[in-house]
Amino acid sequence: MEHGISTLAPALIATWSLVAVAFLALGIVVYVAIRSRTRRIDLETAVQAFRSLDIEAFRNLIDSAEEAFLRNNLPPKKFREIKRQRAWAALIYTRETGKAAAALAVVAQTAQRSSDPIVAASGAKVAENAFRLRLQTTRASLQLLTDIVLPIMPSRPLPLFIDQYERTAQTLFRLGRFSSGAHGLPSSGSV
Amino acid sequence: MLRLDWYRPVLLFLWISPHALLGVLAVVLCKRRLYREFPVFFAYVFYEIAEFILLFTLHTLAIVTREQYKYAYCATLLFSIVLRFGVIDEISKNLFRESHFLKMAARRALQCVTVSLLVVGALLVVYAPGSNNGRWYEGVFVVNRGAAMVQCGLLLALLLSSCFLGLSWRRPAFGIALGLAALTSADLATFALRAAFTSEAAKEILNLLMTGPYLVCVSIWIGYLLAREPKPASVAVLPHDEVETWNTEFQRLLRH
Repeated sequence: MEHGISTLAPALIATWSLVAVAFLALGIVVYVAIRSRTRRIDLETAVQAFRSLDIEAFRNLIDSAEEAFLRNNLPPKKFREIKRQRAWAALIYTRETGKAAAALAVVAQTAQRSSDPIVAASGAKVAENAFRLRLQTTRASLQLLTDIVLPIMPSRPLPLFIDQYERTAQTLFRLGRFSSGAHGLPSSGSV
Repeated sequence: MLRLDWYRPVLLFLWISPHALLGVLAVVLCKRRLYREFPVFFAYVFYEIAEFILLFTLHTLAIVTREQYKYAYCATLLFSIVLRFGVIDEISKNLFRESHFLKMAARRALQCVTVSLLVVGALLVVYAPGSNNGRWYEGVFVVNRGAAMVQCGLLLALLLSSCFLGLSWRRPAFGIALGLAALTSADLATFALRAAFTSEAAKEILNLLMTGPYLVCVSIWIGYLLAREPKPASVAVLPHDEVETWNTEFQRLLRH
C-alpha cells in the first residue's frame, strides 16, 4: 500500500505540474496575441529609443581602465559592491539598446515589404543588421550578468559597439526629424 | 452521474462543429491560395476532416467494437501529431524566410530547444508514466502528453523569439501558430490528466475538455486567415536613401 502511494505521488505531482505549465503556456499565447494587436512602433519612436541612451555614461560603466583603477584603489569588498552596481547599470543600458534594435527591426521589416524594390532591399539589410545588434546585446547582457554574479573575475571586454552606436543614434535622430510623417507606421508585429 | 441529458448533445456539438469549421477553413485556404504557402497545414486540415469522418462513422456503426474504435483513434491521433510537427516546421521556415542570418541562427536554436524538450518528455515517460494499469491505450496518452509538450514548447519558442527580436509575422502564419499553440497547450493539460486519471467519469469530463479547445483553435485559424494582411508602409514614409543611410550606419556598428 505504502509502495503504491509512493509511486503514485510523483506521477500526480508531474500531472499537476504539467497542467500548470499548460496554463502558463496558454497565458503566454494570450499575451502575445494581445500584444501583437496593441503594439505599434513608428520611426520616431524607434529613433527616440536609440537617442534616449546616454552613451558617455555607458562607455564609462564598461571602461576597463576605470575598473582597473577601482580595483587598485578600493578594498576588495567595496570593489565587488561597486562593480556589481556598475554591471547592473550597464545591463540596463544594454537591455535598452536591444529594445531599440528590436524596434528598428520592426520598422525596417515594414520597409522590406515596400513595393519599391530598392527600399525593400535596403530594408532587408537594415533588418538583418538590427537582428544582429539585438543578439549582440543579448551576448553582452550575459557577460554583464556574469560580472554581477562573479564580480571578482576580471571583466571580459564587451563588443566594441559604443562609438558606432553613438554615430548611429545621431544619424537616426536626424532621420527621425526629417521623417515627421512616419507616425503610425503599421507595425509588422501588429498582425 | 454524468449521463445527463446535456452531456451527449454537448459532446457531439463540440466534436462535429470544429470539423465543420475545418471545412470552411479548407475553402478559405483554397480561395486565398494559401495552400501554396502552407502545403503541410493544408494537408493537415484535410487529414483532420478525413479523420473525423472515419472516426464518426466507426462511432456510429454498431458492428464496430470499442477496442477497434480505440485502435483507429490512436492510429489517427499519432499521424495527426506527426503532421503537427510538419506544420510547426513550415511556420518556422515562413517566419525566418526573409533573413538568412536568422534562418541559420534559428535552425541551431530550434534544434537545441527540440532536443531539450525531447529529453524532458522522455524523462516524464520514465518517471511519471501515468496510470499503471498496463493498458496500451493509456500508454498512447503518455506519448501524446510528451508530444504536446514538445510542440507547445517549440511554438512558444517561436512566438517569444519573434517578440524578442522584433521579427514580424505574416498574418496567416501568426494565426496558425497562435491557434496551434493554444491547442497544444490545452492538449498538454488534458493528455496529462488523461494519462493519470483513467476512470469512466474522468474520461467523460476530459472528452469535453479535449474537444472544446479545438473549436477555439479552428475559430482562431479562420479569423486570422480571413483577415487581410496590413498594407506595407508607403515609399513616401521611408525614402530609400534614408533606409540606405541606416544600413550604412548599422554596417559600421557591427563591423566588430
